[in-house]
Amino acid sequence: MSRGRRAWASAALALSACLCGPRGWAQIPAEPEGVVEQLPARPAPHWVWVNDMAFFAFPDGKAFLVDGDSGRMLGMLSTGYSFTSVLIPRTGAVIYAPEIYFSRGTRGTRSDVVTIYDATRLEPVGEIEIPPKRASLMPMPGAQALTDDDRFLLIYNFTPSQSVTVVDTHSRKFVGEIETAGCALVYPTGPRSFFSICGDGALLETTLTDAGTLARRERTAELIDVLKDPLSEKGVRRGDTWLFASFEGVLHPLRATGAGVEAQPTWPLFTPQELAQHWRTGGLQHLAVHGASGRLFAVVHQGGPGTHKDPGEQVWVYDLASHKRMQTITTRNKIGSIQVSQDSQPLLFGCSIDSNRLDIYDATSGKYLRTVESLGLTPTVLVLP
Amino acid sequence: MKRGALCAAVFAITCSAIALQLRAGQAAVLTPPVQANYMLNCMGCHLADGSGAAGKVPSVRDSMLILSRSTAGRRYLVQVPGAALSPLSDLELAQVLSWMVRNLSARTVASDFTDFTAAEVADYRRAPLVNVRERRAQLLAVAADRAAR
Amino acid sequence: MTARVPYAGNPLDAFVERMTRDLARRVSRRSFLGNVGALLFTTGVPLLPVARGAAPTAARPEAAADPGDPQTCEYWRHCAIDGFLCACCGGSIQSCPPGTEASAITWVGTCHNPADGHDYIVSYNDCCGKSQCGRCLCNRNEGDKPLYMPFKSNDYNWCAGSKVGIAYHCSTARVVGVAK
Repeated sequence: MSRGRRAWASAALALSACLCGPRGWAQIPAEPEGVVEQLPARPAPHWVWVNDMAFFAFPDGKAFLVDGDSGRMLGMLSTGYSFTSVLIPRTGAVIYAPEIYFSRGTRGTRSDVVTIYDATRLEPVGEIEIPPKRASLMPMPGAQALTDDDRFLLIYNFTPSQSVTVVDTHSRKFVGEIETAGCALVYPTGPRSFFSICGDGALLETTLTDAGTLARRERTAELIDVLKDPLSEKGVRRGDTWLFASFEGVLHPLRATGAGVEAQPTWPLFTPQELAQHWRTGGLQHLAVHGASGRLFAVVHQGGPGTHKDPGEQVWVYDLASHKRMQTITTRNKIGSIQVSQDSQPLLFGCSIDSNRLDIYDATSGKYLRTVESLGLTPTVLVLP
Repeated sequence: MKRGALCAAVFAITCSAIALQLRAGQAAVLTPPVQANYMLNCMGCHLADGSGAAGKVPSVRDSMLILSRSTAGRRYLVQVPGAALSPLSDLELAQVLSWMVRNLSARTVASDFTDFTAAEVADYRRAPLVNVRERRAQLLAVAADRAAR
Repeated sequence: MTARVPYAGNPLDAFVERMTRDLARRVSRRSFLGNVGALLFTTGVPLLPVARGAAPTAARPEAAADPGDPQTCEYWRHCAIDGFLCACCGGSIQSCPPGTEASAITWVGTCHNPADGHDYIVSYNDCCGKSQCGRCLCNRNEGDKPLYMPFKSNDYNWCAGSKVGIAYHCSTARVVGVAK
């Protein structure tokens, strides 16, 4: 065959294969309509919730669920005005989101609810009305919490009067409001107990009855020097101990015992030389802890007084047993909020309210892995399911 | 070149003269310390005239005078967290509370009102209140009862 | 705006005359404000936003005593502000944009004025009732304390104390006194 004829023959063969061969039939079959994805029954260890308070558009609060391994967004919740954070009980069957709505978007009658979402369908399945007093503030973990048995939801109120709303998740009802005048936030210490931090550096320890009403409320002595070196309220918890960093980087462990909360010996996050170089922690959620290995992660930067909310480009990792810094992770972008997954190969998540991306690192090696872009307007706090 | 330098010199001298005049005019307007302490520690919630906001922050325009007449009431005024937990020293707090009664009360303050003392404040603020609403209502009810009789 | 008048004499004289005339105008206005200001400081009456036809900056104290641009984050009064600057939103450093409510309840701090070396008492009253202005976002934290010291914390949405509620729009920085 001549070259030209061979070419024509090949072309004809190829064309017929395309049109007639079983593998070659290229038509996409019709797809079913109305398919809605559902999440698996149990969350994966590398999932994380990215809460978005939408600081430029308060009515549009959101919470994004992200798979840290694939870098994909799995779904989200629409969570209303001045949104703080989702709350995830250990059973994982539902997700709680304290939400605020105005009858006319930004005005009208305010109503506060706790919306209950099915954790696999991310749909509301219930709603609990609560007093319209929930604190509207920069999100932090202490703004709301579940008691240790997940039975009661605690929500910090600020009108500016200070109190705590208690919700029974079994009956799905508002139980009562406990006044906590002079003291802020809620840090659970047991199935029926939590503490708040008071303006003079004392703690307020509150115990609930089995039904969630007030049993006991007692102030401790002053544990923190709020004038010289205040404790940043963005604490993290490992077992029975809450860990707080002060503005000057002193780590304050507060341990819940049967008798109440005890201040454990403090230790510095920075050496005198590092302090002289103005290293300090900063950000919105500047601490994270990996419970199993006893590692504390802290976002740090160099800055003077008044920079306790500034994001940083380094995460320093400490061994909680020896109090020694064991690792420095340099981040790709400035971050102010971190979270660490709790499995044996943990991921380090980082975001900043100044951008809407989530950066993901290998928490052990510090190696940068991936970034998930476009997560709302102003991501605030990261919560593990 | 010379002209430019002269211009700059004259300008600088004129500016300094004006600045000095401004600074001289500035010296007189320091806020009195007790009032400054009220502004920095209390005014944010209680407002410049003590009226607060209904349902959120109680008005002190009637209650402070009433409560200051009894020991229990005076103790309460020191025990409220805004007072007891504030960074003010005992003396500073005593002065602010007295200032509040004298300047924010709707009624004329009777001559039998005695200023708070540092010792009094030191004693009372050792036990800050947590259940403020209940206590306040209780004390005002007792005072109203007494006034009615 | 002074019209350019041809000057027969020494151009230096013309320059000095123009500068001193300008400055003298500013000084006399400042003294007036100084007197009125002292009165306001002692009575502690909050400066409520007043309806007026003039541009919002018309009421602002003179630049010499109050340096900087209220539409910038670096402006000295913003030393502990957290939010959107009302000066960028139809309000001013001390007034709210139209249709918003000036929240009386807030927190009060101090900022250092580089012009005269004084620490001024600054009341960060928010303007509330609409969605966020979204312009000129600024967060500085000099002297800021954590949430458990509310009277020194800029992390609360202080519109909570307003009648319209937590619909935060923008923040002002109102001088109410001089601490030192």
